[in-house]
Amino acid sequence: MSDDAWELLGGIFLVIGATFIMLAGIGVVRFPDIYSRMHAAAKAPALGIMCIGIGVALSVRTTTVIISVLLVVVLQLLAGPVGAHVLARSVYYGMRPPMDAVDELAAADEEASVTDADPAPDDTTDP
Amino acid sequence: MSALALVLLSVAAALFLTRLFIGPSVADRVMAFDGLLITVMCGILVAVARRDWSTSVDAVLLIALVGFIGTGVLARFVERRGG
Repeated sequence: MSDDAWELLGGIFLVIGATFIMLAGIGVVRFPDIYSRMHAAAKAPALGIMCIGIGVALSVRTTTVIISVLLVVVLQLLAGPVGAHVLARSVYYGMRPPMDAVDELAAADEEASVTDADPAPDDTTDP
Repeated sequence: MSALALVLLSVAAALFLTRLFIGPSVADRVMAFDGLLITVMCGILVAVARRDWSTSVDAVLLIALVGFIGTGVLARFVERRGG
């Protein structure tokens, strides 16, 4: 393929990725509560940066740039969900925002605290 | 094409900045700042594709590393102090 065709293909991927990032921005501004805003801010940018990485790799086509962009995308795919999970956990335990009817984490915590307070039969043999 | 991508990224940055300013809690601001960092990373990447600035990719790598550390630290802050 000629250089212009590669540039066009890369440009299409760049525009798709930028559109996903913009959709994440719209979701972050428009959604009503913190959990749904976090949902918008955590998922869409991962796909966006992936598409933009593909676009850059197709446009430039140098080995160093392709390897660096691959590293950036892999790092973002590893760090993004972990960061979002840490932040969501902090919001749940630190701020206690109002939830809807289903709160499975509270039930799981209650179950864990019950089993902690009631030791297993094997532990009672030790005087 | 890359100019259109830059325009879309500018809109995204404006939206994230809006949430950064009006965000009712600290967690909203942390989240918006994280999104803003991703937008900046994508902007630099588009500039790399547009003008062939191959050396700028290292800056994107650095932002990806440092941004994750910042999010984790600020999340600890939210958990200790509340929103």
